[in-house]
Amino acid sequence: MLSVSNISKSFDHRTVLNNITFHVEVGETVIIMGKNGAGKSTLLRIIARIMACDKGEILFQNNDLLNGSPLVRQKLLYVGHASAMYTILSAIENLQLALTLRGTPVEISRIQDQLNYYGLTNQSNDPISIYSQGMLQRLKLAYASLASWNLLLIDEPFSGLDTEGIALVNKSLHRWKKLGKSMMIVLHNQSRAEELGDRILRIKKGLIA
Amino acid sequence: MFFTLLKKELFVEFRSREVTLSMLVFGLSIILTFALSSNVSPTIIANYAPGMFWIMVLFVAVIGVHRTFSYEKEFDAFSMLISAPIDRGFIFLTKWMSGFIFLTIMEALILIPFFKFLMIDFPLQPWIAIGTTLLINCAIMAIASLVSGIAMRARLSEVLLPILLFPLVSPVIIAATKISGSIMVGDPYSFWKIWLLIILTVIVIFGLVGYTLFDFITEE
Amino acid sequence: MKPFFNNKKNRSGLVLIAAMMLFNVWNVIMNTPMVPEQHWAQKIFYVHVPSAWVGFLSYFVVMVAGILFFMKKDDYWDLVGLAAAEIGTVFMSLVLITGPIWAKPIWGKPWIWEPRLTTTLILFLIYIGYFMMRTFGGHIERVKRYAAAVGIIAFVDVPIIFVSVKFWTPEIQSHPQVEMAQQPSGILIPFLLSLSIFTLLYVLMLKYRIHVIRINSRVRADV
Repeated sequence: MLSVSNISKSFDHRTVLNNITFHVEVGETVIIMGKNGAGKSTLLRIIARIMACDKGEILFQNNDLLNGSPLVRQKLLYVGHASAMYTILSAIENLQLALTLRGTPVEISRIQDQLNYYGLTNQSNDPISIYSQGMLQRLKLAYASLASWNLLLIDEPFSGLDTEGIALVNKSLHRWKKLGKSMMIVLHNQSRAEELGDRILRIKKGLIA
Repeated sequence: MFFTLLKKELFVEFRSREVTLSMLVFGLSIILTFALSSNVSPTIIANYAPGMFWIMVLFVAVIGVHRTFSYEKEFDAFSMLISAPIDRGFIFLTKWMSGFIFLTIMEALILIPFFKFLMIDFPLQPWIAIGTTLLINCAIMAIASLVSGIAMRARLSEVLLPILLFPLVSPVIIAATKISGSIMVGDPYSFWKIWLLIILTVIVIFGLVGYTLFDFITEE
Repeated sequence: MKPFFNNKKNRSGLVLIAAMMLFNVWNVIMNTPMVPEQHWAQKIFYVHVPSAWVGFLSYFVVMVAGILFFMKKDDYWDLVGLAAAEIGTVFMSLVLITGPIWAKPIWGKPWIWEPRLTTTLILFLIYIGYFMMRTFGGHIERVKRYAAAVGIIAFVDVPIIFVSVKFWTPEIQSHPQVEMAQQPSGILIPFLLSLSIFTLLYVLMLKYRIHVIRINSRVRADV
């Protein structure tokens, strides 16, 4: 599914990732753990092609992700820390736009259904600038469940959520896992990592420990 | 995809109106400064009017283009565009097109204050003036969108943008002033043909360069 | 990494080019004919024009390095680009200094918007922006991509700038040395010689600067 080889990244000569190499198999859930600033988010952003790496190679579904055509990343979905949506647009508008850009537009009724499921029924037409941290987190999960993907890169899916939200997200992640989809999840909670993940990658001093 | 992106640019602006409105207000204050710093009389101003107009447009373009790129950084919205499976050259093309549209709207609104406050006569051939102005807008925005795309993630982007843009855009400003000056006094086409060619060259070259380079410079 | 001049080839290159430069100065002062109305002032063109040539060549190298950097994603080309940008700017400053020195006695004023000089000035300003981008733009892994892009668009802009400046002030004549091929051989040969020596000097400077920048970035990477 995904094969990352020798990815390195420094910021002002300070190495954050040092020759990172790993594979993700089809249907596998890989948890990434590590201290703050260990480079977990950086790694996901490099795979999502949002951040450039200094060197290395990434194959996604056997295609060159870093130098290949943009269509190579069609079945790759990145859900980061920030919502990656336009503050002035509503949840529905943002999701419509993001899904259309991915080449898989979805009707409003389905979007509304998902927003209902994630508890955003009443705010679905409000601009997301007024959303709280937890609401944005729910919105991102709604996006992930609407988009079509084979590999999901998701950065701390539980942050900022209340207990109800945590249960929702947990359910979704388990559902995707059952469907045989591949995921890479950045987590901090050890017990949750063991429960969700098939494998845990620990990043320490820029290396996989 | 191009139209989806363009629609988003226009829709975001339609919602917020922050780009066009700030361009317009900034433009008005520049006109005020021009008027106050020179003795407004038709004989004096007529010579400088084309230059003043394009200086104003350039300043205003910097404000606008900086804004259209900086709202992309709120909530990391830009990563929605660059991680999407689309050719990043389209991001450049839509930023360019929308910038062109906003600049043109702003000019349309500011035209009457500009001519009336500075006591300039309207050009004799308005359609030619409008046509050439549109082409010049297009050329300015081609360079401005490219430079802004380069500078947007840099620190001090608001400083680096004009510092890099003004010298790069100097051929367009020369050509624009010459064309407008010629049209204001009713010179025939043959007088300013060369300048139009320079404008068209800029549009083609920077369009192509921007389309190609955007794939490499949009990543963090 | 060994010091640059530990390498025998580099050392002999330095000695050779230094000797040639001394010869060049002597040759220009003693062996070239005086141009009737310009006297000594004209001699500066044996420095001015080669500097301009090297400056533009160097900025061309920045563009090529930028393109190769994007294509190969190899940091070597970033070093080449930075080195060429620095040296190009040094020579462009020389052009902007020697131009007015010549212009003052000949035209009576130090600055006239002569097309080549104006193009040089605009390009020089773009490169000031380039170095500001490099210095203040953020961490270098990010900024080097932006610098490569600026290097490319700066040189792409050169012909457009030149043509527009040329037609902007058609009444200003290009300086008389422009049509070099029509000059008598007493001027032409020393001029071409100076041009070649400057070019050789440029090659050595570029190699040296790439070496220094590479050591510099390694030292910073190790800290």
